[in-house]
Amino acid sequence: MQNPYVPIPVVVSKIITEVDTKDIKTFRLSFVNKEDEENFKYIPGQFAELSIFGKGESPIGIASSPTQKGYIEFTVQKAGQVTSFLHEMEEGTPMGVRGPLGNSWPLEFLEGKNIVVVGGGFAFTTLRSLINYMLHEDNRKRFGDITVIYGARNPGLLIYKDELEEWGKRKDLNLNVTVDKGDPSWKGREGFVPAVCKEVAPSSDNAVAVICGPPIMIRFTLPVFFDLKFSKENIITSLEMRMKCGIGKCGRCNVGHKYVCKDGPVFSLAELDNLTKEY
Amino acid sequence: MAMEKRLIKKGELAGIVGRIAGDMSLLAPVKEEDNVLFELVKDGVTALPDFKNTKNAPKSFFFPRSETLMRYIRKQKGMEFAGLEKDEQGERVLFGVRPCDARSFAILDLLFDQDKYKDPYYIEKRNKTTVVAMSCAKVPYATCFCTSVGGSPTSTDGSDVLLTDLGDEFLAEFLTDKGKGLLKYFGDKTADAQADKKKEEIAASAEKEIKTSIPAKEIKGFLDANFEHPFWDTIHKKCLACGTCTFMCPTCHCFDIQDEVKAADGKRVRNWDSCMFPLFTKETSGHNPRPSQKERWRQRFMHKFRYYVDMFGPIACVGCGRCVMSCPVNIDIRKIVADISKL
Ligand SMILES: Cc1cc2nc3c(=O)[nH]c(=O)nc-3n(C[C@H](O)[C@H](O)[C@H](O)COP(=O)(O)OP(=O)(O)OC[C@H]3O[C@@H](n4cnc5c(N)ncnc54)[C@H](O)[C@@H]3O)c2cc1C
Ligand code: SF4
Ligand code: SF4
Ligand code: FES
Repeated sequence: MQNPYVPIPVVVSKIITEVDTKDIKTFRLSFVNKEDEENFKYIPGQFAELSIFGKGESPIGIASSPTQKGYIEFTVQKAGQVTSFLHEMEEGTPMGVRGPLGNSWPLEFLEGKNIVVVGGGFAFTTLRSLINYMLHEDNRKRFGDITVIYGARNPGLLIYKDELEEWGKRKDLNLNVTVDKGDPSWKGREGFVPAVCKEVAPSSDNAVAVICGPPIMIRFTLPVFFDLKFSKENIITSLEMRMKCGIGKCGRCNVGHKYVCKDGPVFSLAELDNLTKEY
Repeated sequence: MAMEKRLIKKGELAGIVGRIAGDMSLLAPVKEEDNVLFELVKDGVTALPDFKNTKNAPKSFFFPRSETLMRYIRKQKGMEFAGLEKDEQGERVLFGVRPCDARSFAILDLLFDQDKYKDPYYIEKRNKTTVVAMSCAKVPYATCFCTSVGGSPTSTDGSDVLLTDLGDEFLAEFLTDKGKGLLKYFGDKTADAQADKKKEEIAASAEKEIKTSIPAKEIKGFLDANFEHPFWDTIHKKCLACGTCTFMCPTCHCFDIQDEVKAADGKRVRNWDSCMFPLFTKETSGHNPRPSQKERWRQRFMHKFRYYVDMFGPIACVGCGRCVMSCPVNIDIRKIVADISKL
């Protein structure tokens, strides 16, 4: 019987400091055993428990795309015990990972449709996974137009800056990066995510919105999509609840009769309507 | 194939318990100060011939209060995995489990032994253990309400062998293959139709003895429709958030995972946790989706009578009454069910 509590051994192979405030870093993890790497089959939108013996575990969305081979990436904000310890780590340090866990962005449902990806702050992580997946040459033609709206409070807080630049050069992606407030060197857009959505979001015809960000952003962004007549089935988001086991046993992360760790974290607004409002 | 049944004389039971205990670990209700607890029967520790129910729920034999999941050891660059904790105990028998508590095993199996994620710690202990239940020929407490939540004083759910006191004799019904492993201890007097009839009479009279009848299944519709309702603002008012109800409960299964670490090594353990505690769902950011005891009590109640039913089928309460008896401020789950049914 496989033991779902035992982490897979990995090594921190690369650490990228993402933001000026230095409290968000991307950790690239490489598998110690080749077969673990092959068995770790994930889909954008899933997460994993980052596991540090002696410190504990934290559920973190997988920020890399399965089209990137040989490693997995996580973008982590320094918060409490585990994430602070991670932030102190050096490249080459062994640690563990449990997963992939949870459902995923509904790739089959998204196929053949125009996709609007809306992200705010560092909740952009699994959206980045989705975007890189869709942009991969093996997959791009299976999706319609792709519009990305991504916002941060200021330019220094944007994550994945190099990648944003690459994406900006592409013709098959409509990228809109915005900051609440720019600085003297900022040449891009200024404005809040909901306002930018209003301006650039496509019609709801054959379109799905995938939205992930701080609650306040979500609260003001949803009405924009409702006005555009996006149905609740066609607005998808990802929930966060405190977690421990990640496998629907410890009883911590339920929203109504669904465990966010096992049945989520991805839900459509239509699905959320059928759950209790407690998250 | 017909079920194997045996009849044994009343006076033979102690000998049978002793012989099984000589061959393997046997845990049975034992008097401990003024409590009755499941304990290992050995020299100087004898099973009680007659008891009501144990103070603690026997779930702890499959899902201990604190359990080591794995060990790790310091290497040059940090802690590394050093192996699982071996369950040293061999085959064992849990003897004298009440039918409500045995049902809790069947209910917990649905969670710990699901298709997708199996809990190897729970399952290993469960597989190694034969559950011998003892029917409640006399209903032990005024707080019992098993019949309202899908059980009965002679329920066989979760048991491998069921013993029923027929007066001068015990009827032993061997319900599973694991149970049949104990056949040889029970002699060769097979049960006749008369014994079956006697058992049915006892079952019927025991059911009648149960004082509490509450519409636990019937309130599901209300619960489905009323996550928001002024009633939820009433239950928790005197609750101390002590967690006693959840620790005593045979079906409560929430746990925390913690690292216990020393300089050179450490272990990852899981400990019982409780939805009654404010920290249970509090996120690092400070956000708590269940910000007051109101939401926590609603969660405990909904989990048992609505969510578990939606997830797995049965109500996650076996009607043992432990929470009713041990709540320091006398919050009574039976009354909550009854009150809701009147809304
Ligand atoms: C599905 C999912 C995806 C996430 N993705 C990311 C991500 O990509 N990047 C990121 O920086 N953060 C993410 N988070 C939040 C992250 O899990 C918490 O910030 C982190 O667990 C805090 O752990 P800690 O040990 O540093 O803090 P402590 O305060 O020491 O937390 C103790 C423990 O409580 C649990 N916990 C506390 N807060 C949360 C929380 N908000 N969500 C879940 N468990 C929690 C964890 O088990 C944690 O180890 C995600 C959360 C979920 C549920
Ligand atoms: S909720 Fe109370 S009565 Fe029901 S099984 Fe748990 S402890 Fe027993
Ligand atoms: S035992 Fe009573 S006081 Fe303690 S948490 Fe449960 S309901 Fe509240
Ligand atoms: S994290 Fe344990 S049930 Fe979801």
